[in-house]
Amino acid sequence: MSHDHNHSARSPKIRIEALEDLLVEKGLVDRSRIDNLIQKFETDLGPMIGAQLVARAWTDPEFRSRLLDDADDVLAKENISGAEIEHVEVKANEPGVHNVVVCTLCSCYPWALLGLPPSWYKSPEYRSRVVREPRTVLAEMGLDLDEETKLQVWDSSSETRFLVLPERPSGTENLSVVELAALVTRDSMIGVAKAKTL
Amino acid sequence: MSERLVHDIGGDLGYGPILHDPEEPVFHYEWERRVFGVMFQILRITAQRPGEMRYAIERLAEQDYFEHGGYFGRWEAVCELLLEEYGHLEIGELDQVLGALEGTGPASRARRIERKILNLLPDDVEVKIPRAKTVRRVLPNSPRFEVGDLVQAPETLQKGHTRLPAYVAGKQGYIVAIHPAEVLPDSSAHGLGERPQHVYCVGFDGEVLWGSQSEKSIKIHVDLYENYLLPVKQH
Repeated sequence: MSHDHNHSARSPKIRIEALEDLLVEKGLVDRSRIDNLIQKFETDLGPMIGAQLVARAWTDPEFRSRLLDDADDVLAKENISGAEIEHVEVKANEPGVHNVVVCTLCSCYPWALLGLPPSWYKSPEYRSRVVREPRTVLAEMGLDLDEETKLQVWDSSSETRFLVLPERPSGTENLSVVELAALVTRDSMIGVAKAKTL
Repeated sequence: MSERLVHDIGGDLGYGPILHDPEEPVFHYEWERRVFGVMFQILRITAQRPGEMRYAIERLAEQDYFEHGGYFGRWEAVCELLLEEYGHLEIGELDQVLGALEGTGPASRARRIERKILNLLPDDVEVKIPRAKTVRRVLPNSPRFEVGDLVQAPETLQKGHTRLPAYVAGKQGYIVAIHPAEVLPDSSAHGLGERPQHVYCVGFDGEVLWGSQSEKSIKIHVDLYENYLLPVKQH
């Protein structure tokens, strides 16, 4: 029964190729629109948008407090809009407090600030474990927090999206906003890493 | 505890290490790109209501949710399911094209849509529908709870789509913040109206969720809709 032909018909790769052809044939989808959409999300969006916000918050205390108080207002004024950022809250790491973001029920993520989420963020391993044993998970991912540090996990179960504001690395006092933004990784804004050091 | 669907895995034991690559690309394979692009076109002609696409993913069989190429594989499966349910594909049509046994695809294994009991949903309220596409609504009534209030998540909710994760069911936590009000996905995913609710960020101490074995000084925050929450008298 389960000869090779049948087996390959189960793979998502084979199925989506056939499905796309079928839908094009039926006039239900348009290949050029599909291509444009992929292009937009793969190249135009990414963690640099979030990184710029973080770098500005590091250098401008007034901007930082506005970002923490009312991120929606900041995003509106900066003309940042797009998918999955209807309501954004920014959580600041500080000495003794660390924040980390997850979506246990699916894979909610602030696309327009960070781009599409990485595989590990969407994996059942991360989603199940980071709410039960966040210290262990972070340590496995290379971030050791001392026991006194309070660890706050944010599970994105409504349409609110979370962005972590990592701590500014020491020794970066003379860097420009552009140089600082290069230290702000995707992982540091999810909360599974610190910002890069020099 | 209500019957759990396949996606509701927060706090589950038995999962292994996280395969973490800080430099990971957005897509690993060309087929993932295609799924991503096709899905958005399909959504225009299928699941448009808040929560509807998520509920379709949640209805996938375990093998399709976990072993069909991960996140984009789930999306591929859901494309088929939605296209069949909305009548854009005949049942088993894709299998036929592929020369496979008819009815062996993910749509054939997915759960049916549950019928929700209307009486168990909160009443709908009339509010202004914003012009832009958004789930945010402005409610006439003020929030029932305040920051600092002790609340309890229900032990069970009715079957079907919900955003109450099983790991907080029956647990007590504190209101940490009040988010903007939103359409209630439990209702809208099922086509039963918006029934918008105030939404709260509720903080749960690790010990409350995981007992004395919990890691120390951890707090888990979950966003919960007002109709989920029960007040708790504080002594």
